Amino acid sequence: MKYALYLGCTVQAEQYAYEASVRQVLPRLGVELVEMEGASCCGFPAFSSISSLGWHYLSARNLAIAGSLGLDVLPLCNGCHLSFTETQHALEKDPHLRQFVDQKLAQEGLNYSEGVRPIHMIELLHDIIGADRIEEAVERPLEGLKLASHPGCHAIRPSEMQRPDDPEDPTKLDDLARALGATTMDYPEKTDCCGSLLSTASGRTTLSIAGEKLKAVRDHGFDGLFTTCPYCFKMFDGRQRAIGATIGDRSLEVPVFYYTQLLGLAMGVEPEKLGLELNMSPVDGIVKRITGGSN
Amino acid sequence: METSIDEREVELITLMLQRAVSEMSAEACEQCGVCPSACPVARHMETFNPRRMIAKISLGQIEELLKSPEIWTCTSCLKCKERCPENISPYDVILVLRNLAVRAGYPYPEGYDDFVKNVLDSGMAQQPQAVRTRGRQRRDRESLGLPPAQRPRDMEAFSEILGGIVKAGRSA
Repeated sequence: MKYALYLGCTVQAEQYAYEASVRQVLPRLGVELVEMEGASCCGFPAFSSISSLGWHYLSARNLAIAGSLGLDVLPLCNGCHLSFTETQHALEKDPHLRQFVDQKLAQEGLNYSEGVRPIHMIELLHDIIGADRIEEAVERPLEGLKLASHPGCHAIRPSEMQRPDDPEDPTKLDDLARALGATTMDYPEKTDCCGSLLSTASGRTTLSIAGEKLKAVRDHGFDGLFTTCPYCFKMFDGRQRAIGATIGDRSLEVPVFYYTQLLGLAMGVEPEKLGLELNMSPVDGIVKRITGGSN
Repeated sequence: METSIDEREVELITLMLQRAVSEMSAEACEQCGVCPSACPVARHMETFNPRRMIAKISLGQIEELLKSPEIWTCTSCLKCKERCPENISPYDVILVLRNLAVRAGYPYPEGYDDFVKNVLDSGMAQQPQAVRTRGRQRRDRESLGLPPAQRPRDMEAFSEILGGIVKAGRSA
């Protein structure tokens, strides 16, 4: 298993805990990650809104770079993964667009390659590596932890764009958490949005939408929330205090993790190597429980 | 940087938008209300309602929508598209309206231009920054042992190509 690692803007610029934990856990599961030299933004969400041509050019450009390495691409963000898939469809459907993109890419010496498959992290972990193999790698089971999975919108919708899990009843992240020894439970707000992409237009509404979900997670009695999307993580973890202030709930204290951080902890990787000091939500209690306080 | 506007790009954008508008198929909408009931924004903002938007399109009130701030308040959650029994996608309609509004020179939230400018300047929407740990210590890519950030090899060429595409077909 060898993939071109596409970090995307948010992970490369600030969501270091995701990148660090991915780089720790995937090689231990037999995945080789190849750097994508020359990569750029995927174009989502700004270009898709104001220059759809620019958007498809940007996504195609990254697919071309992965193609030049002869590899399928592993984007670390739900938005980038959907963006790549949408561009592939658009280029397939529209020969004029394809011709245009080809011509622009040629100016940088790049060739679009149709055969590059965008691989989603949930797909890689669940369908390719498999929950069984992950379970075998567990040294410190997450026993007694009840966790809420958050796939994030673009991991499950729109289903016509080959998402890695079901649009209305996603279960793969739950399977993956159970493989680590944790308990999961379905909850009505599971497929709800984190609100992130509204922050440009209305910061307050964004925080209120995120607040509904976090509050529900707490009220259902979960010990914490986990995801594989950096946009969603940044919202629920990094902005949790602002969310609490906006919805008038000061006691909102939901530990938020990247799945790859939990996987690393369960595999026995030291918390520092998983970027766990960078989570802004109160994760210390759970980390100590898993590591037995020994770190 | 001066970038020339290629007539062919303008044509292509026009073609894509025309096709997208013809695919809007707003007349198939039965106004059933599934989309606003699924929409996280409609719950919080009275001004935003995907069903009403589709109705306005079928009534030919596109210009009114292009001018309205509401087309910029979608979170892109895609529940409307997923759940519509008539396979209409308010989400895709909104994306087309946004593209049309920008071409027509109507106002849109400032953040979009910042995003585009960052990509034109550096290849990415954000520059790698130092972050704080819970214990308020400073960390960056290097101190965390992460490899150097990626960016286009030839930034000048990249930004000229992309800048040209973004400018093509804009009214001002």
